[in-house]
Amino acid sequence: MELLKRYLNAVGFWLPKEQREDILAELGENLRSRIDDQEAVLGHPLDENGVAVILLQRGHPMLVAGGFLPQRSLIGPALFPAYQFILKLVILWILIPVFILVVGPATILSGRNPSLALLSTAWTLVMAAVFAFGVITLIFAALEKYPHESMLRFDPRRLPPAPPARAANAPQPVPRFTPIVEMLAGIVVSLCWIDVLWLRTSFNIHGVEIALAPVWRTFFWVVLLVTFSGVPIGLMGWLRPWWGRARSFARLSVNGVTLVLIGALVNMGPWVTVTAQHLPAASLAEANHWTNVGISIGLAAMSLITLVDGIQEVLRLVRRRPSSSATSLAVRR
Amino acid sequence: MRQTVNTNDLFENLRLELRRGCLVVAVLAQLREEHYGYALRKALADRGMAIDENTLYPLLRRLEVQGLLTSEWREEEKRNKRFYRLSPDGRLILKRLLEEWQNMNESLTKIVEDETVAAVLEV
Repeated sequence: MELLKRYLNAVGFWLPKEQREDILAELGENLRSRIDDQEAVLGHPLDENGVAVILLQRGHPMLVAGGFLPQRSLIGPALFPAYQFILKLVILWILIPVFILVVGPATILSGRNPSLALLSTAWTLVMAAVFAFGVITLIFAALEKYPHESMLRFDPRRLPPAPPARAANAPQPVPRFTPIVEMLAGIVVSLCWIDVLWLRTSFNIHGVEIALAPVWRTFFWVVLLVTFSGVPIGLMGWLRPWWGRARSFARLSVNGVTLVLIGALVNMGPWVTVTAQHLPAASLAEANHWTNVGISIGLAAMSLITLVDGIQEVLRLVRRRPSSSATSLAVRR
Repeated sequence: MRQTVNTNDLFENLRLELRRGCLVVAVLAQLREEHYGYALRKALADRGMAIDENTLYPLLRRLEVQGLLTSEWREEEKRNKRFYRLSPDGRLILKRLLEEWQNMNESLTKIVEDETVAAVLEV
């Protein structure tokens, strides 16, 4: 019975002090009865292996002890959906986009070794995600332990409006992730633009000075309008994902302004001037030529992307045209 | 949204769910007569209601805390054993639970014997 003693001792480790003795006495007695029964069937005392089989069938000491304890959970089923939502929102929709769009590029542009900068960003992201996970879990565990009735109080009249009925063949509403990326990109690009053209108009890279031509300042506000347009359009997509047509019209307007802007810019080159004390005049002229050629290619590519995006929006707009079946469905409801 | 679930696993889960409530009734009913843990388990198994030890022993303690069972340590065959028995409150609750079970059984029988349901079951 040495094995039984060891088993009971292992179970006792997981039990609360005040109930330990009582539970172990009863558990031990039930196991002894079972061993007696088995011995009666076999007609001889059980050896260590025989007892081990019974104890193995009884289960792991920690699980056996757990069965005698009240069911507890850090976050119960009532709060779990909210916990999961907040966790997803913070980690997937805020932390990761912020790290990809802001922290990562900022670390890489800070001039450090790109591979090290990338590793450092990834590590910081993991640490931030673990920290966010811990804090959110702690908050929800506290809410689970000390619930407040106001948490579940609601007024049906103040619930957000339900999306309108959609016909079976109608296109999907705007995906939740797209508007967030759109907003973040709008903010980041706008900030970069303000930094580039408002706070400084030239860059010094290893002794080579690249100065932006005055034409950029002429179009400062128009470019800012185009870059920042992602924020209100993204916000609209986030709050009203079913406003697909309004979103398409807004994006088409921005595409139109962008194309006009690029058209104007293309005819106003050169767009930058490269100067360097240590470079011979011929090399400098070549550097000036190729930098501006690069920018003209960039502008051409941007106009092409804008055009393709515009065509996609027109197609979406055509698909989103309100159909009679959707209208009748809405009326029926 | 349809999840791919093994039908055997699904059946086993549903069967356990169906049994869970019945176990309490079975234990209370069996304890109209005094038993200690292991003997109770054997008695239930003999009547076709096998219960896992990890379920039964904690359940007995919970029912005792809830006042539906009483227990006492007593010597039997030179060994101390804890004997459980239905308390007066437990007796009342058992009576009500059995009535509820009878009602549910009758309702279920009516539903299952309904022609439409019967046709589905035959398929």
